[in-house]
Amino acid sequence: MRKLNASGKMRELMASYYMLGHQAEFNAWITSGAPVELLYAMDIYPVYPENHGALIGATKLGSHYSEFSEKKGFSRDLCSYARCDIGCVFAGTSPIGGLPKPTFLFACNNICNTVVKWYEVLSRIFKVPLFVLDMPFIRKELKESHLRYVEEQLYDFIDFAEKITGRKLEDSRLKEVVLKSLEGVRLYSECLMTARNKPSPMTCFDAFVNMAPIVCLRGTDHAVSFYREMKEELDERVKKGVSAIENEKIRLLWDNIPVWYRLGWFGKFFEERNACLVADTYTNAWTGFGVLKGDDIISSMAEVYTLSYLNIGLDRTAEVINRLIELYDVDGVVMHSNRSCKPYSFGQYEIQKKLNVPAVIIEADMVDERAFSEAQIVTRLEAFLEML
Amino acid sequence: MKIGYLCTFTPKELIHSAGFLPFRVFATDKPINRASAYIQSYACSQARGSLEFALEDDFYAFVFTRCCDTLMRLTDIFEFAGKRVHNIEFPTKIGNVEYYVRELKDFVEVLRAWGGEVNYESLMESLRLYRELEEKLKLLFSLSPDYETVIKAQQIDVRKAIELVDEKIRDAKRVEKPKVLITGSVCPYPEVYKIFIDAGFSIKDDLCTGSRFFEYKYPNFEPKDLDSALRYIAEKYMNKSPCPTKHYEGDRRFEYVLKLAEDCSAVVFLLVKFCDPHFFDYPQLKEILEGMGKKVALIELEFPVVSLEQLRTRVEALREVIE
Repeated sequence: MRKLNASGKMRELMASYYMLGHQAEFNAWITSGAPVELLYAMDIYPVYPENHGALIGATKLGSHYSEFSEKKGFSRDLCSYARCDIGCVFAGTSPIGGLPKPTFLFACNNICNTVVKWYEVLSRIFKVPLFVLDMPFIRKELKESHLRYVEEQLYDFIDFAEKITGRKLEDSRLKEVVLKSLEGVRLYSECLMTARNKPSPMTCFDAFVNMAPIVCLRGTDHAVSFYREMKEELDERVKKGVSAIENEKIRLLWDNIPVWYRLGWFGKFFEERNACLVADTYTNAWTGFGVLKGDDIISSMAEVYTLSYLNIGLDRTAEVINRLIELYDVDGVVMHSNRSCKPYSFGQYEIQKKLNVPAVIIEADMVDERAFSEAQIVTRLEAFLEML
Repeated sequence: MKIGYLCTFTPKELIHSAGFLPFRVFATDKPINRASAYIQSYACSQARGSLEFALEDDFYAFVFTRCCDTLMRLTDIFEFAGKRVHNIEFPTKIGNVEYYVRELKDFVEVLRAWGGEVNYESLMESLRLYRELEEKLKLLFSLSPDYETVIKAQQIDVRKAIELVDEKIRDAKRVEKPKVLITGSVCPYPEVYKIFIDAGFSIKDDLCTGSRFFEYKYPNFEPKDLDSALRYIAEKYMNKSPCPTKHYEGDRRFEYVLKLAEDCSAVVFLLVKFCDPHFFDYPQLKEILEGMGKKVALIELEFPVVSLEQLRTRVEALREVIE
């Protein structure tokens, strides 16, 4: 696979992001689907335990840190992001020296209810306040009552954060951050969309590796300039006909969180078989966070964040995947049945039947390498590729 | 006609008042086969077992509340399996009554569309009947916990359930033995509780198949119309015995368990494998309980329970330690 220069820059950018966290006056640990714009607008530094979990997975230390929490009694069946992250708290370190102690915690259950339990654990450990932004699950239609419920809580959250920090949320500053967030999301989406080209200049592995800024730095200039540069690099590849893999014959879509400790292995496996995973549902989920309708930021925020990819019913999930199948013109879908992520994985058996192209399901875990059975996965994937 | 539900936050009074039989769905003694085509093996066996049962049995519809991540997805999975379903968005964060009243109003419309007739009078009668059942179960359990009865009461008409509990109260005797607190989600197998009794414990529970089915703090007002009756339901369920799938102001769930444990010599976490909400709470609760001098044991179950003897050995060992 041809590596993107952007990945090197991303590492530098994220290294300074993590370093800054230790200097911030106030920081909040936040879940990946929460409206981070509110924090940036109040100069509260956001810390992402999920991103930290992914980083630990990618450094193949998932089971190592998980064991610290397992020794304390946390079950091996729990989410491995949570397990290894809580493990790092007990270990007092991590591959990046641990996360800074939180001023407060901000959990939004538009990605799962697991984060509520995980953050309750953190709240007891650190003895700091926790704000839960409770999003109704939108199985069918989004109701006015749902929006009102979320909106009220967004105002509650602003009060909560203002009281803790003694700072005021200024409308103008919020607007500035939201516009940057929109711009970041737009450029990020354009990066992903370059994979519509045949051959594709990038793989979903490039997307996974380079997603951290859109998650953690959404609403800042850093994300905007990072994805602008990444887009230029990808455009350049397209112009010169440079493909991400040597010989793209089969185009595929990945579903679910990646198997972080096997990114390279999967990349090589597919490249050797002339298959390119051009896109995925995970990184695409952040392309949905960029809508601002009218002037009312809070009400737009309520709508956009309530309708996050994992907070909608399975019919709509299948529709989204079918749209991606069409958009990226893929021949098949590889679905990761992820033991750590029940809301992402339960329903895959049915979604598989609703897709417009063939799909294969492989079972693994995003961070815990003990749950990876290589032989079984190779057999499944080889049979699938042959069938395609 | 039966309407199945899985979670004790389901407003069964509304279902009943619309002329349906609210029927709590549990895993059964049958092995889980057909359900495996719909959901992965790392879903808890209560979810898989309930689906298995639902596929075999005759229900008019199923009502879900979003509690855990598995239940959230299970509604759609039941629908894919050809079942009529509705999910009520019971909030995860306990507090906003207004929001939940709106959700209940929508549910009333669903019940009407299903051919049910909900009105003030019928709802008041259902509220009265369920309160009577709950208070009687509370009395029965204060004398002698009876899991066979409480489980059965969740699957028959509320009037018959009241008669059944009345009958049991007449024969119930209080026995003074070392107390064990059993905490967890569901365990619909009476034989499991019998093992604790046989080992010489008297049981106190914090289980969704036990006291969490009937422990409520009732609102302090008399509903005057349908709207205020819905408000009554919203407040009643928000003030029900706290559940780990919900987020409470302060640490109400922990406080509740710790209070229950005060007069118990041992605490058993009887947890269904893959039940995330309980497993997240377990380590920190255990630490506090041990600090209080309680003996704590974790027993992980999968339904149907196949190894009762293994369970017996563990419970007997715990009883010996206390002596």
